[in-house]
Amino acid sequence: MGKDTMESVKKLFTTQSAKVDTNRGGEYYTDLYETCRKRLDELKALPVVNNKLDFQETIMDEGLDRRDFLKWASATTAMLMLPASFTPLVAEAAQVMNRIPVVWIELSDCAGNSEALLRSDGPKIDKIVLDIISLEFHETLQAAAGHQAEKQLEEAIELFKGKYLLFVEGAVPLGMDGQYGTIGAKAETFKDHLLRLANGAAAVIAVGSCATYGGIPAAAPNPTQSVGVMDVVSGKPIINIPACPANPSNMVGVVLHYVLTGKIPELDSLLRPKFAFGYRIHDNCERRAHFDAGEYVEEWGDNGAKNNFCLYKMGCKGPMTFNNCSIVRYNEAVNWPIGVGRGCIGCSEPDFWDKYAYERPMANANIKAPTGGVEKTVDEFGLALLTAAGIGIGIHAVASAVAGKKNSEKDA
Amino acid sequence: MKVKYLIEKIEGEAELEFDFKNGLVDNVNIYFPFYRGIEEILKNRDAMDALVITPRVCGICNHAHLIASVRAIENGLNKAGINIDLTQKAISLREFTLSCEIVQSHFKWFYLVALPQLLNLDRMKCPDNYILKASWASTNIVKALAIFSGQWPHASYAVPGGVSCDPTYEDIIQAESLVDEVIRFVENELIGMNIDEYHKRKEISNIKGDMAIIFGMLDKHNMKAKGKSYDRFAVFGEHPIFQTGQYNKKYSNDIDFAHIDEHPQHNSKAKSVTYKDMCYEVGPLARAIMTKNDFMLNLHDKYKDSVLTRVYARLDETIKLLVHIKSLLANLNVKELSCTLANMPKALEADGVGMVEAARGSLIHQSIIKDGKIQKYNIITPTQWNLSSGTQKEAGIAAQAIKGSVSIEEATFIFRTFDVCSVCTTH
Repeated sequence: MGKDTMESVKKLFTTQSAKVDTNRGGEYYTDLYETCRKRLDELKALPVVNNKLDFQETIMDEGLDRRDFLKWASATTAMLMLPASFTPLVAEAAQVMNRIPVVWIELSDCAGNSEALLRSDGPKIDKIVLDIISLEFHETLQAAAGHQAEKQLEEAIELFKGKYLLFVEGAVPLGMDGQYGTIGAKAETFKDHLLRLANGAAAVIAVGSCATYGGIPAAAPNPTQSVGVMDVVSGKPIINIPACPANPSNMVGVVLHYVLTGKIPELDSLLRPKFAFGYRIHDNCERRAHFDAGEYVEEWGDNGAKNNFCLYKMGCKGPMTFNNCSIVRYNEAVNWPIGVGRGCIGCSEPDFWDKYAYERPMANANIKAPTGGVEKTVDEFGLALLTAAGIGIGIHAVASAVAGKKNSEKDA
Repeated sequence: MKVKYLIEKIEGEAELEFDFKNGLVDNVNIYFPFYRGIEEILKNRDAMDALVITPRVCGICNHAHLIASVRAIENGLNKAGINIDLTQKAISLREFTLSCEIVQSHFKWFYLVALPQLLNLDRMKCPDNYILKASWASTNIVKALAIFSGQWPHASYAVPGGVSCDPTYEDIIQAESLVDEVIRFVENELIGMNIDEYHKRKEISNIKGDMAIIFGMLDKHNMKAKGKSYDRFAVFGEHPIFQTGQYNKKYSNDIDFAHIDEHPQHNSKAKSVTYKDMCYEVGPLARAIMTKNDFMLNLHDKYKDSVLTRVYARLDETIKLLVHIKSLLANLNVKELSCTLANMPKALEADGVGMVEAARGSLIHQSIIKDGKIQKYNIITPTQWNLSSGTQKEAGIAAQAIKGSVSIEEATFIFRTFDVCSVCTTH
């Protein structure tokens, strides 16, 4: 093994990846608190956009009480990396979310994000919040259908011009003049539809890996020449929430942040909110201790698998993947892929469908392993490739030992 | 007179082009204006990549795609002489997760599509709690699924030779309690009686709850006997509570992949499918017919493959599956192995077919693998069977069922009794 590779493996597992600023000092938060307070009071004075469901009533219908709600609010405050004193504000923000108009459109996709986010996933209150904010304009959920629905959409984008958040699910196929995907009676191409709706939006939120990077439709040879929203839309704030499917908590986080502050959250250079994509899966993985101890699953169904050992040798891409799955988990937090003994497939990283995919050893996966801070990660892919998972692991034992030494030196 | 009509709320769009004659639908063409090229994308990839890519065909039946692609690889391995024997535990877990997915899809179809559409015929506004009911029931059953699969949608916990999870008794208890909650929901809301009482029903009119609303509406709008197609059914996927085989005037348990043909359609990237050169209906009604229970046989004698039998079959199946998955959990032996194939053979040469019963019917994956790489991958979805315009010889299943409708509203409801999904049809 070459020295470069050895160095890069060392770097991969010794660099602190978390460079998210979680403490900006008392003054900053006092100012922010005031801003949020003012913003919420302004929002409260606004009429309700969608009065189909009442937040309090819906919570009751679902058999939740105020205590559950406040528990959720404090967890969400922590997720947004705000001090605990913001909890009452977050709780208030959730209740005035129906002042923010939301338009949700589906392009070239599998509807998996709609399924995950709106109907099948999310800690209960996230889901309720999403039901409430998006009922009016989500194609599948709204009451109207057909021409009636089209009319409703047109009215909404006129009435809320410049104010609505546009959620986009799905890639934009550019091949064959956009004829691989059209929408409505006039057969408007997905691209034209997106551009028209983005034009009047306050911000565009790309949900899922298809909308952010083109996703599975853009996998080689990209038959429909699909791209992500940020490749098509310009002149508007864009927020990317990748993963396949995207996690509902992150979506709610983005909306809540917007409700609270009137601004979009801090983003990295791939336009992902730092509060959700500031850490790697590996950093907070429940099996991390086994990685550090060099205990791995070597084959499906072996003793390691039975004992929940680390899945790195089975091709887990957790060390390369920025997302908060290991904390937030899936489906009301009952579990997540690593919890059932399947490695991470890196579904929130660009090109995961071509680079990462299955448990292909990392050497064959053309992976550029990220190190350093979030911006560094995406801008300076300075690392050499790992040559083979097996060798990588061998080196890791050394690297871990070195890491331990380094840290203790620093401490001393 | 030609009329074009757009169908939405089906995870994409479909366009129906009606031909009216004397006030009745004489002919209909079905288009899905959408294409991603998943089969093209799969070419030349590592054989195992299919397990990650094919679920992403569809956000609603992704799990069925995962199991179909695993079965295709396992079938190929078996044919290549590498014997794969799944443990009962792996079989049961796959069945459990697959059944949960079918159940959540049926709930959504009933509360988000079928009921609102019928209420709309009376210009009645749909009570908002239908959305909450759909959401509550499907969320909970999917949670039970995710305990074993890690997440839903788009899990990848099934691997050739078994599953990757190794559940503990605690996991099983948690799943059991979720299934129980959903069964309680069914008893209180969907059928308005307890399951034992439901099993003793003699007539459809004995059923109460939300199910009674839909049957009442069908009666009121004189639609019970509408929507008949060719009365031909096929079930390809193996599942302990469904019988594989086909029905065309008579029952046969012989069914062979070799008789399936795909046909390109004009103006659409979605292909139509035939078995022995004929269109066949797949899905809950086909499964119910092949299982031959008395209640269904009586209903079928009277109404054939009409709207009533089709709607009833989908809802009844929801209940059957919930009862079945409860017993799966009760009998799960956690001490058995999860996976019996440690590693995929290198440079694999295999040609396999994986067939699965998904929410909307038989889903078939065929993968031809050379030197470890996918040479050809073919996906045949349930909606291709049911929702094509048809072949040169005959109209497709749904297209035939729609013929004779008196209005666009009636025709589109008949279309929706097949549970339309655009993303699967086109992939």
